[in-house]
Amino acid sequence: MEAASRPAVVIDNGTGYTKMGFAGNVEPSFIVPTVVAVNESFVNQSRSSAKGSNWLAQHSAGVMADLDFFIGEEAVTRSRSSSTYNLSYPIRQGQVYNWDAMERFWQQCIFNYLRCDPEDHYFLLTESPLTAPESREYTGEIMFETFNVPGLYIAVQPVLALAAGYTTSKCEMTGVVVDIGDGATHVVPVADGYVIGSSIKSIPIAGKDVTLFIQQLMRERGEHIPPEDSLEVARKVKETYCYTSSDIVKEFNKHDKEPSKYIKQWRGIKPKTGAPYSCDIGYERFLGPEVFFNPEIYNSEFTTPLPAVIDNCIQSAPIDTRRALYKNIVLSGGSTMFKDFHRRLQRDVKKIVDTRVFASNARFGGEVKAQPVEVNVVSHPIQRFAVWFGGSVLASTPEFYAACHTKAEYEEYGASICRTNQVFKGMY
Amino acid sequence: MILLQSPSRYLLQILSTRLHNLDKGVELDCHWVEFDDVRYHVQASVKNPHLLLLSVSLPTPPPETVFQGGLPLGAIEAVKAAYGVAVQILDPPRDGFNLTVKMNFSKLPPTEEYRQALLIKVASVREVVLGAPLRVFLRHLASRTVAPERDMLVALVHRPKESFFLVPQAEKVTVVFPMRFNDSTDTILATSFLQEFVEARRSAGLNNAPPCSWSPSPPLELKGAPLEALSANCGFVTFVIFSRHVEGKKLDKTVWSLSTFHAYVSYHVKCSEGFMHTRMRRRVESLIQKF
Repeated sequence: MEAASRPAVVIDNGTGYTKMGFAGNVEPSFIVPTVVAVNESFVNQSRSSAKGSNWLAQHSAGVMADLDFFIGEEAVTRSRSSSTYNLSYPIRQGQVYNWDAMERFWQQCIFNYLRCDPEDHYFLLTESPLTAPESREYTGEIMFETFNVPGLYIAVQPVLALAAGYTTSKCEMTGVVVDIGDGATHVVPVADGYVIGSSIKSIPIAGKDVTLFIQQLMRERGEHIPPEDSLEVARKVKETYCYTSSDIVKEFNKHDKEPSKYIKQWRGIKPKTGAPYSCDIGYERFLGPEVFFNPEIYNSEFTTPLPAVIDNCIQSAPIDTRRALYKNIVLSGGSTMFKDFHRRLQRDVKKIVDTRVFASNARFGGEVKAQPVEVNVVSHPIQRFAVWFGGSVLASTPEFYAACHTKAEYEEYGASICRTNQVFKGMY
Repeated sequence: MILLQSPSRYLLQILSTRLHNLDKGVELDCHWVEFDDVRYHVQASVKNPHLLLLSVSLPTPPPETVFQGGLPLGAIEAVKAAYGVAVQILDPPRDGFNLTVKMNFSKLPPTEEYRQALLIKVASVREVVLGAPLRVFLRHLASRTVAPERDMLVALVHRPKESFFLVPQAEKVTVVFPMRFNDSTDTILATSFLQEFVEARRSAGLNNAPPCSWSPSPPLELKGAPLEALSANCGFVTFVIFSRHVEGKKLDKTVWSLSTFHAYVSYHVKCSEGFMHTRMRRRVESLIQKF
């Protein structure tokens, strides 16, 4: 097959950002916000006056409007400058929500950004571990029917995140992946490359919640930020200034003693009037990431801190894998990028484990001594697109082409070939 | 997006980030493939941050096209004319590529405006190299000088092992595209798209556009062409380019549109498939609501 001689296309669609590029590269070619700006004006018009006299003109205008959309940064700027475009976010909480928008998004990714002919390349797409089989079928249908791809592999994000460590050290396919994206947070144990489906935990706090919390803090303190800009400012603040503290009380003291060192300034321009404004960034620098460790400060319904969730997850996994799982806790996703996030996580998980070991030692009164459990939180510089990088590594191996669903298989059996993924069919 | 843009978006992004962070240049080594099997490879090192190696490989030419040293006719001259001192051609090119150029960021023009223009030009390297022979013929047409190969059939490569044909004459150039698609659905959609395309040309607003026609069998212009070039499952599209279509700035645009015509049709076929899926989904939703 000729297509196998070209690098595969790897697209990782996240809730916040989409990472896309060609296999065998170190970095994705483009990281763009997963958003589509659609021109809806024609659709509504033709509906309201369906029996109009010049339906043909309206019809052809509607067809042209179908090409009239933008994705990524362009979509955001377009929707700001004119009111004809409506933003639509095709993915919510890690799941595809609007398939029309998703199909258009892929179309632009392929033709406008990567500029490749989909018939020439194998494709690797990703999905979250909790995706329904129907949605996988849908993805397969769009890829094979619309784009005529020669082969498709739908990979599971945490497995790819583990595979990202593949080249840096020895191949270690056992570990817990803590994947905190913009819209969803999953803790997924993987043993020898197989996902332990029954132990997957997910928590309702993700990158978007950090942004909302920062926005809320800044609003409550009365910073002068134009309301239409405040979410965007909060996001920028999160991405540039936030860090993880080791102790909140100490951190509050530090800020109070030396405000000049810790309090940052944010400068912006009001979108409506064009007047410049500035605001202070204070406690939210460390309080933002704190929602993962003390969720009660943000949300009164969910109060289990992330380290406890990780511990629960490992405790629910088969007993012979637990030590290996504690040893390899891998971070992935943009919202794990806060400075010292991995240190804090490692310390807190270690604390929980040590307490348990200590308690069991005390119960047996020194007759049986448990071996200390090694806890390791791994972080690497490419965390932000670890999933994409894992996909790039995977898709550049020769085995990848054999693992793909091919067009011929699709035509023979239909979309149901995409229903299941091998990694869930492991040992359990 | 209705037309494909000529600069490669990724290459342009690489070049401009490189230009803005010249003092802290990072190691760079990446490769990618564009439609019609044009491959790129970019390499830059920390040691010489202002140098960048760009290699391009072109689709495999079919036997009827003329290639000189792995490049289409006139490509070397076109590259030299387009880029000036900032870009230098390396001979021989990297293994597996048709052209390797070394770009020197310290020799870029001083003003921001010209710089940006040059970067866009470099990012459109594909247009410069692959479109070189076509540009030569169209320029002859613009200046109304007779090309040496008068009234002869010229084949130019545009896809792997596929070519399109030119019949250059003193007052017009006839361009013929044999259209081929792999998938049966695509074939049908493309055929009706092309028929509509020809139909649309007849509407009043497009009187100045190049006349075009579509026929299921090879047109007369292709009399001397090799047999395998004449098998096309989507028929043949013919454009007639007059000198008014290649005056001044229109030349570049015409060259690009002609040399990527197949990609353009293929893009729109995929778009219409997507559009139909949208309609089908809406229909299913409305039916479900009725239940």
